[in-house]
Amino acid sequence: MLFSPTGFTECLREWEDLEKDYQQIQDTHRLYKQKLEEVTKLQDSCSAAIARQRKQLKDLTSSLEVCKENHPSSKLSQEDLDAIVEIKDSIKDKTNAFSEMEAFLPKKNGLYLTLVLGNVNVTLLNKQSKFAYKDEYEKFKLVLTVILFVFSFTCRFLLSYRVLDALFNFLLVWYYCTLTIRESILISNGSKIKGWWVFHHYVSTFLSGVMLTWPEGKLYQMFRNQFLTYCLYQIGFVQFLQYYYQSGCLYRLRALGERHNMDLTVEGFQSWMWRGLTFLLPFLFFGHFWQLYNSITLFRMFQLPECKEWQVLMCGCSYMALFLGNFFTTLRVVYQKYNQDKSKSL
Amino acid sequence: MSKPRLQAEWEEIEGEYQQLQETHKIYRQKLEDLTNLQATCSSAISKQRKCLKDLRQTLARCAKACDDKDIKLITDIKTQIKDKENVFFDMEAYLPKKNGLYLNLVLGNVNVTLLSNQAKFAYKDEYEKFKLYMTIILMFGAITCLFFLNCRVTDEIFNFLLVWYYCTLTIRESILMSNGSRIKGWWVSHHYVSTFLSGVMLTWPEGLMYQKFRSQFLAFSIYQSFLQFLQYYYQSGCLYRLRALGERNQLDLTVEGFQSWMWRGLTFLLPFLFFGHFWQLYNSVTLFRLAGHEDCKEWQVFMLALTFLVLFLGNFLTTLKVVHQKFQKNHKKVQKSD
Repeated sequence: MLFSPTGFTECLREWEDLEKDYQQIQDTHRLYKQKLEEVTKLQDSCSAAIARQRKQLKDLTSSLEVCKENHPSSKLSQEDLDAIVEIKDSIKDKTNAFSEMEAFLPKKNGLYLTLVLGNVNVTLLNKQSKFAYKDEYEKFKLVLTVILFVFSFTCRFLLSYRVLDALFNFLLVWYYCTLTIRESILISNGSKIKGWWVFHHYVSTFLSGVMLTWPEGKLYQMFRNQFLTYCLYQIGFVQFLQYYYQSGCLYRLRALGERHNMDLTVEGFQSWMWRGLTFLLPFLFFGHFWQLYNSITLFRMFQLPECKEWQVLMCGCSYMALFLGNFFTTLRVVYQKYNQDKSKSL
Repeated sequence: MSKPRLQAEWEEIEGEYQQLQETHKIYRQKLEDLTNLQATCSSAISKQRKCLKDLRQTLARCAKACDDKDIKLITDIKTQIKDKENVFFDMEAYLPKKNGLYLNLVLGNVNVTLLSNQAKFAYKDEYEKFKLYMTIILMFGAITCLFFLNCRVTDEIFNFLLVWYYCTLTIRESILMSNGSRIKGWWVSHHYVSTFLSGVMLTWPEGLMYQKFRSQFLAFSIYQSFLQFLQYYYQSGCLYRLRALGERNQLDLTVEGFQSWMWRGLTFLLPFLFFGHFWQLYNSVTLFRLAGHEDCKEWQVFMLALTFLVLFLGNFLTTLKVVHQKFQKNHKKVQKSD
């Protein structure tokens, strides 16, 4: 607005115009508060109706089971059997419809989010916001991955100070904590992230926390370089590769309508990645075996006579947990694919 | 169950399902209208804000070349502009807004505005309860570490809990501010400083220096938890009374300091508060002395000394300002009555 009043009377005129606009704002705001109340009531009635319907469907399913037990299938007519199957399919469709509806209704937070954020509602109420939030999460991971890469490179090759290492570990703890918060919000908004890939962030937080408390000493110096090089590989190189190739692949699959909009890039290997991303598997397995190697190194260090720090054993166990979780989850995907191929060829 | 009854139930469910779909469709439609209204309101408010700002600057220029009657009018308009800005602040507490830097970093773009008065008040209550429970847990943690278990591991767990507690407080307070709570600058910053302090304590390795400071730090933590509990107990009672009288905002929180409204009945808390502040100064002096010790090799000692000093200065001076303002107000009252 290029209006720039110069005289006092012009100021007064401007003031009167602003007064009129202000009245309008107050009216709009009042209307808004009214509509807000209406929408809130609708939200409550929808949520209540869905909960009620869910309960009714559950009761109906158990009644059907009882019915099937009391009347063995030989005594029921074909018509009845068809009706039962139809009802069961319909129930399944309804349950899916409820999940879709609930993605746009506010809901109570899970335990973790309630502890950290409290009762604030984190449901994003339209598709674009959800998608934008997911995009932001991916970007956050990417930016932090680059920062962590630069940091670990500096610590490994340029400056060797315990303070800098402590800062790096603090950054890792903060990064993994923030990831867990954001992922909880994404799950609350309909993203289907598998158990281990969420849980392994909690394990990583714990691991970085323990590394943080490990005091300067001979044993720390023995493990430091291995740890930093591992971070360079895992966080810098592999995560970046994963992000780059997975997001391209996901984009393509979403355009083909074969994947959900809220699917994320993860640090593992998922079933949809067989279409073009199989080359990533050796890199992933190498990362997992490095975790195993870290674990074994730490267990060996624990048995040295100079070892007085509890951190050594704790980190050893954590790396072992990470290796087992990562390796077996990835192996399962490979195994499922192998089974799928086998049944196809049969 | 008999077939006709099953059928009847199924048809009832189908009927309700159809109704639910209709309601949900209406809901999505109204939600879209609401979102548009939100956008309209937000943009209208920011436009008015800008215009008012420009007008105020122009009026300041005009005031130099005006007579007394016009100056009175200008002052009047300026007061009205200020009132409008307060109204806008309150209106925006019900509109979704972009998160500040801190919330953006931690949560991302999710909107944290609670859109009804009850929800805001419930959230504030929950925040107070969270502080209370954590204060009690931390007090027990500190007592255990000081009197029962003398182990670096339990100390670490206690410090991690402190870091997590202060981080969570900062997140929740940012959300409260986004929802219209007016929390003063230092009482928010001092949680960031406390997070930093606990973080540095966390990295302090076991050693002679650590053992020298440990008991003092844990005793201080116990006292501080006790003080926070006292504050919560008396402040919430006082706030309840003042809110009922309509003299305080619904979203005012209990804080770890002394605020102007606390003169009405909570003056007895001041000595306890000042004692806590001077304990922080004492911690700082102890740590500076330890840093000058010949055995001291850890950077944490000096860093912690500085941090405790910052905490002392911030807490003490902020509280002193409140006392000074009261003293001046009383002085003016006495002068008026004379």
